Amino acid sequence: MKAKIVNKGQLSGLLDKLAKDYDLVAPVKEETITLFKKISSAQDAFLDYTNSDVSPKGCFLPQSEKIFSYTYTGDSLEIVKPESAKKTVLFGARPCDIKAITTLDPVFEGEKFGDEFYSSKRENTVIIGLSCSKVLSTCFCYAFGGGPCDGTGSDLLFTEIGDKYYVEINTDKGQALVDANSQFFSSESTDQLAKDKEELAKKLAGEFVKKVDLTGVKELLDSDFELAYWDEDPYKKCIGCGTCTYVCPTCHCFDIFDFTTGDITGDRIRCWDSCMYPEYTLMAGGHNPRPTRKERIRNRFMHKLKYHLDRYNMVGCVGCGRCIRKCPVNIDITKIINDLKEVAQNA
Amino acid sequence: MLKRLLEYVGFEPGRLTARWISASEGAKFASTMDEVTDKIKSLGPNTKMRDEIL
Amino acid sequence: MMNLTKQIREQAKKLLEEKKVDLVIGFGQGTELARTTPVFIDSPEGVSALTWGPFCANNLAKYLVDYKNAPGNVAIVVKGCDSRSVIRLLDDNQISRDKIVVIGVPCAGQLEWQKVADEVKPDATLKETVDNGDSFVVKTSTGDHTFNKKDYMLHRCLVCENPNPVIADFTIGEELPVKNYAERFAEVEELEQLGLEEKSAYWDKQFSRCLRCYACRNVCSVCTCELCVFDQMKPMWVSKRTNLSENTVFHITRAFHVAGRCVDCGECDRVCPMDIPIRKLNQKIHKDLKDLFDSPTPGSKEGLLSALGEFSLGDPEEFM
Repeated sequence: MKAKIVNKGQLSGLLDKLAKDYDLVAPVKEETITLFKKISSAQDAFLDYTNSDVSPKGCFLPQSEKIFSYTYTGDSLEIVKPESAKKTVLFGARPCDIKAITTLDPVFEGEKFGDEFYSSKRENTVIIGLSCSKVLSTCFCYAFGGGPCDGTGSDLLFTEIGDKYYVEINTDKGQALVDANSQFFSSESTDQLAKDKEELAKKLAGEFVKKVDLTGVKELLDSDFELAYWDEDPYKKCIGCGTCTYVCPTCHCFDIFDFTTGDITGDRIRCWDSCMYPEYTLMAGGHNPRPTRKERIRNRFMHKLKYHLDRYNMVGCVGCGRCIRKCPVNIDITKIINDLKEVAQNA
Repeated sequence: MLKRLLEYVGFEPGRLTARWISASEGAKFASTMDEVTDKIKSLGPNTKMRDEIL
Repeated sequence: MMNLTKQIREQAKKLLEEKKVDLVIGFGQGTELARTTPVFIDSPEGVSALTWGPFCANNLAKYLVDYKNAPGNVAIVVKGCDSRSVIRLLDDNQISRDKIVVIGVPCAGQLEWQKVADEVKPDATLKETVDNGDSFVVKTSTGDHTFNKKDYMLHRCLVCENPNPVIADFTIGEELPVKNYAERFAEVEELEQLGLEEKSAYWDKQFSRCLRCYACRNVCSVCTCELCVFDQMKPMWVSKRTNLSENTVFHITRAFHVAGRCVDCGECDRVCPMDIPIRKLNQKIHKDLKDLFDSPTPGSKEGLLSALGEFSLGDPEEFM
């Protein structure tokens, strides 16, 4: 695997050029919140962050997205699709969030049914990851096979070491970007930096606070849908707000509806939806298979820990910890995992 | 109360008018409508909370 | 604070043992040092999960609505602000008085957990918290930290109206003095001074971050509609799209829907994942209520008439 170096002083030059040639999406800071937005110059990027408050999944699955617009022309329906995605660079996403995007791929790019809106964005985006330099008390990416310096899913992975960025080129897409912007990438030897990165990864691995052990958890969930555990605590304190699903980088549920300002023209919109809302599974006849918060909480954790694995052979959670930080009532997936492990052991 | 809240959020004073008019106060209704129409025309198009097509 | 924790546990135990209640809703240690989580205790042995301190920011009153039709009685631990919610819920007939037992705890203030977490070692465990008047001392397994209230407390606590619960069947701890309440509308007044364009730009910036997760609505103790207007499909008053227009409609509408019943507990502000200063909207309404109707904060006394639900001949009549 090839690697290059970008000197820190060169980074803003690189970002400015990328901002010209592509839609460049990078972390920005708005008051106390860090989120991913399109930027027009390097100085708008905010890279001194641990992780953003909202994940960059919006690059591929926007919160609100027009699928098409329609017009009745008397006797027929004219449909106008949006333009295909522009060439985009996503810069500065953390390894956990990039791993999360790879877990969305099988959902939207399945064998039988593909989602052209997702695919066109995915094809036209180069993902440049940025390794973590710090671990938060709510991080636990290691539990799901990830790591603070893991390049899975990224086209390029930048790791900050001293006054340089060690750049690993993981895909042809990444190589193409490097070739087109070679003036910013130095070809000095990267052997020492590769070693330094290993050291960094080891150091960060020792900083995780949350001890998460998944042993026996999936088997337990496979064996009993009506576990007594779900009758207890987690659902009682949940307020059903949907925050966890919206900040989660692997959540992908959506709703589709038509918005019109008259009956002649309108837009079909897809936007995020949350399984924590009671109306999510409300059916036309009035029946709701998940009538109370107990069923909805159980569904959320079963999805993250079992269903996604069953269906796509990929984990449903990447351990980014946002749900733990943002949940108003401190529902903690790591506590639930550890509780389930105990239940499994005592069974 | 709503008027004050809207102004606090940045709507121009005069965008929202609330008036108590009985069904039998036709003249008052007509003159109020004229007043409000003139007022909002002078304010120009509203820029906040517009129905947007994405 | 350990002393108060002990007393709360003893009171809860007594209520459960004497079968006066089937459930105690209170605060328990969370999964971070500086957080608590709501706990639901249904047996006398379980009361050891209860705790108290400067990390108990949640307003637990909303959970009472879940137990409206439950067979037994419910005890609830409330701070000053939460107790206003309890009165408001009783006034709205969301639960009946004889079903609840209120354990009131005078509150010396609540700390912003992220600010505390930034300064404490991530793997430290909490030993004890002490109220020192102007500051809290947080004793952990890796050392003691002092957090002065001015810089580390939730903004809403800095201008607290009533640290002492205004409704309580049992009160745990000493009564505390009211401080700085007179400055409670300072932030609103600051915004009111801005010009129209600046106000508009300020709120546009805030609302454009809104994810429409509805955490503010769900945590609100007076948002109790069975079918919320924002969930209605027919007619679709607001769609699920997030754009500035719809977000603005959502926030203004919700603020107005709770006007006159909002107790200013500040939970909406605390839970917002995008740090939108929602309380500044509700506070504006509180200020107007005071200016126009000389109305005290809803829920601050038992038996208050709802300012927007009643009228008196002296009410302002700008609309005539």
